[in-house]
Amino acid sequence: MALPLPPGLAQAEVAFLAEMELVTVVPRQRLESINLLSGRTPVLRPPHRAPLPLWLALLLKKQRRANIVPPPWLHPTSLSQIIHRETKEDPTAFSAPPPPPSRAHPSQPGMAHRPAADANLSPPFLPSCTADAPAGYLPYHWLEVAEALLAHAGDDMAAPPGEVRGLLRDLVEVRAAKMRSSTSALEGFGGGLMSLRGVGAMELAESRGFVLGVVDGVRRIGASAEATRREEEEMGGRREDDEGSDDDMGI
Amino acid sequence: MSYYDIDSILTDAEKIPCTFQLDIPDLGYLDNNPSHTLKSGTRIQLPLWLAEMLAIANTGSLDEQAKSFVTFDLPSALGNDVVQALKADPRAVPLRDQSPHFYGLATHMMDLSEEQELAAVLRKTFVTRASEIALHARKVGGANQHGAKGQADEASNLGVGGAGEEFLRGLDEWERKLFRKAHDGTRAGKEWMDSVKKR
Amino acid sequence: MDIDDILREVDPTYHVVPRERRDLQDLTRAWVAERSAPELLHWPAGGLFERIHDNIKRQIEKVEEMTGDMDPKTNFALIVIQTELERFRYLVRSYIRARIAKIDRHALHYLSTDELRSRLSEMELAYATRHQALLHDHYLASFLSSFPPPLQNLNDTAGNITMIDAPDLESAVFIRLLKDTLVEGRGVDADGAMDGRESDIVILRWSDAKPLIDAGSAELV
Repeated sequence: MALPLPPGLAQAEVAFLAEMELVTVVPRQRLESINLLSGRTPVLRPPHRAPLPLWLALLLKKQRRANIVPPPWLHPTSLSQIIHRETKEDPTAFSAPPPPPSRAHPSQPGMAHRPAADANLSPPFLPSCTADAPAGYLPYHWLEVAEALLAHAGDDMAAPPGEVRGLLRDLVEVRAAKMRSSTSALEGFGGGLMSLRGVGAMELAESRGFVLGVVDGVRRIGASAEATRREEEEMGGRREDDEGSDDDMGI
Repeated sequence: MSYYDIDSILTDAEKIPCTFQLDIPDLGYLDNNPSHTLKSGTRIQLPLWLAEMLAIANTGSLDEQAKSFVTFDLPSALGNDVVQALKADPRAVPLRDQSPHFYGLATHMMDLSEEQELAAVLRKTFVTRASEIALHARKVGGANQHGAKGQADEASNLGVGGAGEEFLRGLDEWERKLFRKAHDGTRAGKEWMDSVKKR
Repeated sequence: MDIDDILREVDPTYHVVPRERRDLQDLTRAWVAERSAPELLHWPAGGLFERIHDNIKRQIEKVEEMTGDMDPKTNFALIVIQTELERFRYLVRSYIRARIAKIDRHALHYLSTDELRSRLSEMELAYATRHQALLHDHYLASFLSSFPPPLQNLNDTAGNITMIDAPDLESAVFIRLLKDTLVEGRGVDADGAMDGRESDIVILRWSDAKPLIDAGSAELV
């Protein structure tokens, strides 16, 4: 049966995607490695931390077999820092996404240098929610991961969940306002490109239909004008070529 | 445009003013003059699909005498008074009263003849009204659940309630689709937020 | 003996992403891309889906074996395996349903040229052909046969109008850059260009995004 959804991931699908993000768990019980379709899970030996995908971490947490370490960016100090950046330092653009974890591999003399096999990774396969993720940056799936951890691992938070939740609300508001004002900038969208560096997955999912609808509408309204412009540019180009050949003839 | 698109078909049924360039025998009934010849120079409203065909036909030949059967003008929905009103305040013009397929009609007309000023005005109109649409879609979608903070977000001199409803009633088909997209996005967001607790 | 195993023997620093994890990443990317692109994308080469399909089948069999076992240790492993299995099945199903939706909408278009036909898997090709034939028979029986013969075609492209609906390749999409690269996008007033940085998220027309995605410099989000 065909899927009647409009193009682009909907919120529930984004949440599903976010559950693939790796988080750090602290096991409370020993668990042998399980042979999953996506590979073997690491052996869990308390109290040694291990990275697991969020969906599995949540499963373990629900069964009280592990605790989840909240990522450093979810700490109130970090969130306040980000809010400050979003409001005072750059009120128009979204705050920068986290720098990618270092991919440098020590090169070995005598060995052919092999490009890192994980060269083209991106969220949710680029770890940004583990215990060694940098503080002060919101990763792509920040809202989904934050809400999941608050709902199911609130007791693992470094600060009272209420405090974290309040800060998250503020962040959501600030960034939603930015998303809205970016659509007003679309009037000048004669230029063909718009960057939304730092935007989050859920924020995209919510505004996607509308934003793309406006962009497509502007394009269709301007379609004739654009076609005329291209024809003129092409003719202008051809005229230059003709003029060039006249010069060659010494005329 | 898509062959089967209903909006496209309906748009093409809109009438535009045409001027016949030739005397055409027996077509007098179009001008309430049955069994008379339709005189050159007669102005009649014809549906866009027909006007387009009559305007383009007969103009491809090499015969210098050949001219198009009709010439056409912009429909009143895209007339100067509407354009001036849009320049003044795009949000105050109920586009749907001009035509339920306002933008569709306009883009089709702009395909047929160059209308630079119209294109520029309509782009600005579309985007300005789009921001307004988003504002209303959020209110209807119940997005202001974050309390007082959300209320003061942007100034809208149309206000909430009655004036808002009037604006929404004046949306053309393109804008209605935009509203639905904005509304659906907000609603899905709220649904997801609520569902996180329940998992 | 897999090429990966050989390489691992020869070069101990060869950091290879295990095939299973790579498959999950490829599957996930294919799903996001197909859900986001306005036109049907190529069926993944290299047997990705065939492999995943077989693995899922094998995993289901394993679950059935394990279900009989009363040992509490295997019980939890079973839950984990089943949870992951459902996630995989969701991905695969959603991917295929998204493709079928596109094929249904523009069936004649995707069957019209060799290049387009090559994007469909064998099963999808069979489905599209059969589905279109069924529809055609239905239309003929319902109303088409009462049209004058010259007007009975469903794939007429005479005049300025084509009856074959095609997706709008100029629709806007969101992409994420996977490396620093030049991004060019056509616009109404002017064509734009920017020096994009890795992990930038950009809105541009699908026709401008496609070359970047094909080159592996960007992905749909």
